[in-house]
Amino acid sequence: MTAVIERPVRLRAAAREIAPGSPDETLSIVSSALIVVFLVCGWMLLQLLVLGGAAESRSQHLLFSEYRSELAQATAPTGQLDYEGDPVKPGAPVALLTIPSLDTEQVVVNGTAPEDLLAGPGLMRSTVIPGQQGISVVFGRASTYGAPFRSIATLEPGDEIDVQNAEGSVVYRVTDVRRAGDDIPAAPTGTEGRLTLVTAESAGHLAALRPRDVVYVDATAEKATGTGVVVAAVPSSELPMGRDTSGLPTLALLLGLLVALVFGVGVARRHFRGVLVWSFATPAALALAWEVTEQVMRLLPNLM
Amino acid sequence: MTPRGLRALTSALAALGLLLIALSFVPGSARADDSTSTGNAWTASETLTRTFGNGTADDVRTFEVTADRHTNLQDHERINLTWSGAHPTQGRVANPFGENGLGQEYPVLIMECRGVDPQDGSAVPDGAEQVSPETCWTNTWIQRSAQASPGRGVWQQDADATDAEKGHVSGIDPSDIPSSCAVNDSLDYHITPFLAADGTLYPGCSSQSMPPEAATGSVSIPNEIAAFTDAQGNGTASFEVRTDVENESLGCSATVACTLVVIPIDGINCAAGNDDEQCNSTGVLSASGQSGTPAPSVAPGYWWSPSNWSRRISIPLAFAEPPSVCSLSTTAGTPVPFYGSELMSQAALQWTPAYCLNPDRFNWQDNVMADDAAFELMSNGQAAAALVSGARDGENVGYAPTAVTGWAIAFDIDKPNNAGQQMSLKLDARLLAKLLTESYPGTILGKARPGLQNNPFSLNLDPEFQKLNPGLDKTHFGDVQATLLSLSTSSDVISQISSYIATDPAAMAFVNGKPDPWGMKVNPAYRGMTLPVSTWPLLDTWVNDKTGNPCIDQNHSAYMPLLASPVSSFRLIATDMLYNWPNVTTGCSGNGANDTPYQLARVQPLGVGNRFMLGVVTLADARRYGLTVASLEASPGHYVAPTDASMAAAVKLGKQVSPQQPFTISEADIHKSPTAYPGTMIVYTAAKTKGLDAEDVKHVTQFIKVSSTEGQQPGRGNGQLPAGYVPITPTGATAALYKSDQVVMKAIARQSGTPLPPSGGDPGDGGGSPGGGTPGGTGSTTPPDTPLPPADATPSGGATPTQTATDVPVVKTAAVTSATGGGLMVVLLVVGIAAGLVGVGGRIVLMTRGVK
Repeated sequence: MTAVIERPVRLRAAAREIAPGSPDETLSIVSSALIVVFLVCGWMLLQLLVLGGAAESRSQHLLFSEYRSELAQATAPTGQLDYEGDPVKPGAPVALLTIPSLDTEQVVVNGTAPEDLLAGPGLMRSTVIPGQQGISVVFGRASTYGAPFRSIATLEPGDEIDVQNAEGSVVYRVTDVRRAGDDIPAAPTGTEGRLTLVTAESAGHLAALRPRDVVYVDATAEKATGTGVVVAAVPSSELPMGRDTSGLPTLALLLGLLVALVFGVGVARRHFRGVLVWSFATPAALALAWEVTEQVMRLLPNLM
Repeated sequence: MTPRGLRALTSALAALGLLLIALSFVPGSARADDSTSTGNAWTASETLTRTFGNGTADDVRTFEVTADRHTNLQDHERINLTWSGAHPTQGRVANPFGENGLGQEYPVLIMECRGVDPQDGSAVPDGAEQVSPETCWTNTWIQRSAQASPGRGVWQQDADATDAEKGHVSGIDPSDIPSSCAVNDSLDYHITPFLAADGTLYPGCSSQSMPPEAATGSVSIPNEIAAFTDAQGNGTASFEVRTDVENESLGCSATVACTLVVIPIDGINCAAGNDDEQCNSTGVLSASGQSGTPAPSVAPGYWWSPSNWSRRISIPLAFAEPPSVCSLSTTAGTPVPFYGSELMSQAALQWTPAYCLNPDRFNWQDNVMADDAAFELMSNGQAAAALVSGARDGENVGYAPTAVTGWAIAFDIDKPNNAGQQMSLKLDARLLAKLLTESYPGTILGKARPGLQNNPFSLNLDPEFQKLNPGLDKTHFGDVQATLLSLSTSSDVISQISSYIATDPAAMAFVNGKPDPWGMKVNPAYRGMTLPVSTWPLLDTWVNDKTGNPCIDQNHSAYMPLLASPVSSFRLIATDMLYNWPNVTTGCSGNGANDTPYQLARVQPLGVGNRFMLGVVTLADARRYGLTVASLEASPGHYVAPTDASMAAAVKLGKQVSPQQPFTISEADIHKSPTAYPGTMIVYTAAKTKGLDAEDVKHVTQFIKVSSTEGQQPGRGNGQLPAGYVPITPTGATAALYKSDQVVMKAIARQSGTPLPPSGGDPGDGGGSPGGGTPGGTGSTTPPDTPLPPADATPSGGATPTQTATDVPVVKTAAVTSATGGGLMVVLLVVGIAAGLVGVGGRIVLMTRGVK
């Protein structure tokens, strides 16, 4: 008998094929599937809570530069029609909102559909621009994509909210935090302006992850700037907790691409080395996953 | 491409490039562009036959004359006539107008007469008169009446004269002759009376029996011309028409038909066998010589004699509605005045009747006022709109481009040696600076001023001027040649002229004290002055009381401003240029007695033939009055005349700082362009886009709409754009202006304010627009009537902000909840963790079992 060098026992023993029909096969399939489910859920949560925040941050940065230069050139919108008489596009920056006590500074975009609120707080298009006379309603996400309005329900009456719009700066003072059943304050008159911030909240365990009930924060200003053009009515996707099903075709396309990617990876694995295949497939998979999640966000309530 | 092919292509392109560069150096024509749109010209020709009685063969010529316009005439408008085939003029006068033109032989006499003259034999229509010598205007009686020894009058020897015309006194009923005419039996007379429009018969045989408008030595130069024909038989003349506003006795107007009568003086026809020397004379003056006493048979003074009168050519004249048609109209509403730039005056003349005579339009009234004052009036709400040429401080004002026109330097200059009028001139910014800064002393009285000793006396003696304009008079000088007649009040035109000077490095160096290459220095009072300015100041206060001119010595006023003597409106400058009457006030009147004290007076008008005078005029006035204007230097070496093309090139350089604001044409940019005319200006209708009341909003938007469409059609009819303006069209160089008109019109209709122009401060810290927005206390808060375009909802007009997100007005906050929102992420979390645990666990189990 020849000397045998002892090798440390590896956890992985010599591989053996799985026999079809054996319980191992079931376990293998089920565990694979569950791992995929885990990845999907994990990715979604990651995107909603972390990556979405980064995306919103970046959007805000770009919007801020855009709005800044629009203010400088005096082409910032003063209503739903811009200076050339064309409608202001959803997603265009319309105001700058600062809440000093919460250390929040956000650019408000036009529109409150779920995809508009991915970039930051949005102006309800049937109301005037924040800072103008009359009622202005701004929605903001409570827990996902940066959650700019996560703590506005903690504002106290008298807290300051500063708004900078195309016509000037206006300082609002919070008057109340309104929930279901509370009285709606009287409409503003004359040069008064009222700003209503809308988001969702919950109570109990994991409240931060469960934005369920819509909550309103009202703030008034004595002397607001002019008044602007508004849209007559907004579609249902732009109401509180509205959802937008218009993106389903895109979602279907993206999911199809994802399936194609999986298929492609499977085929490629037979012919090429694993590392090579995954180094190409991973970025594609991540990109598709990101896009899919963004499309899925359109199907979810806008104040989440 | 092969190397050879590449080389060939490169050399071809290089050659093309060089050719284009070479072409850019070809100097353009300096004549002002004549309007090509006529359809209005009148041409006529006839055969001139002169018969002699002494056996000389008949003199036969074909005379043809063309007038460039004869309809829609305004008062003082110039008709340009050209003719060929006339007898060359002998003995040229310097001043061919009125009685001054009598000293020539064979001129072409052009006169304005009342009535119609259907030379084709048709009848005179009802209400109109037949043209006759009695309805033709002459400024003096000596042009219409003559006297001679009995039987020796050349009119009595006219072969075509009737027996009555050969009598002792012809042409008038002897009972109408006044005593002032001193008619006696020792002479024979022919008297041509003047029949005024109101029916009064003025005998016209002495200065007392002439109509009141006839005045010798008056400022208003007579408009009848005895024009010069050159040796080839060709000639040109510019005839100024007058309406009943100027000459009530002649009485031409839009309702009274008048005729331009052109009589080529060709000589009295002598009857066969009449060899009288006086009748058959062909003239005693030399063709190239000076004027003198002409031979009567070929003198213009006998235009009424049948031979000459039968050779007349009649050009019918039709006048446009007078400016007063609107004030006399009973159907037009209350006038709505717009105030502002004088550049609009000529356009207003043609536009106002299109408003006041149209019942659907408001009664627009244009009032001339300094741009700053007009803008103030508009800002205060006292005027609906202001017509200005530049941006001004003021929020919520929109500027709609209404007219593209400008200013020019008009000149009345004659070539030396009676060679005619100079038709082109070149000027640069430094010459304008020298003129405006009173740097030419004019006379030795001015040279006494410290600082002007080394300066040339006047513009024509300046080597810089002579280099640009060779061939002009180099010997005469005076105070008239040393100045530019300009405006004394505030105007955007002066701002632009001074900025034209300010952006020219050579001109500014001169103003700052640097001598020009020939040693001329700026007037010390103006050295270092800041430019641009909107009112040109008269800074020289040097008094000269040792001039020897008692009026100046006793006046003790500053001397140089007497030369500058600016006037208060461009119309005055244009009429001064028309009459060649400088505004220099170094003349003297009075003789020191108590009732006629020494007083500074305006100098006399310049005699035609040796004129040298410059003035700043508007382009529209220059085209109306037929003034010659100078080409100004744009980029170094390029002298640009005001034509449609050069003004369009300047408009293209205009930059708009933000919507609804004016397009600023920077003179610095013009100094870099070889084709842009520096005097181009755009006149805007400035009106408030917030706080304007509803009536005014309607008027202003209607005005902008009409003036940007109908008002930009070139033409001479009501509502059309006169010459001197470049039309604003939706395509071409002025497309941006047209678009801006639409934007401003919408903004004024909406009354929702104008975006503030950027200030240049740092907006990054949230400071934003300058001054912040004014909380619009008086702002209109009514939403517009135009349907609003929401993303996918149907517009329902008249938007009102909703109370809550739902459409049902509630008093209590409604409950809005979302189960998905409340549950999704938790579910994801739970499911994810569970799946992860189970999945990973399963994998681990498999691995331990040794399964791959």
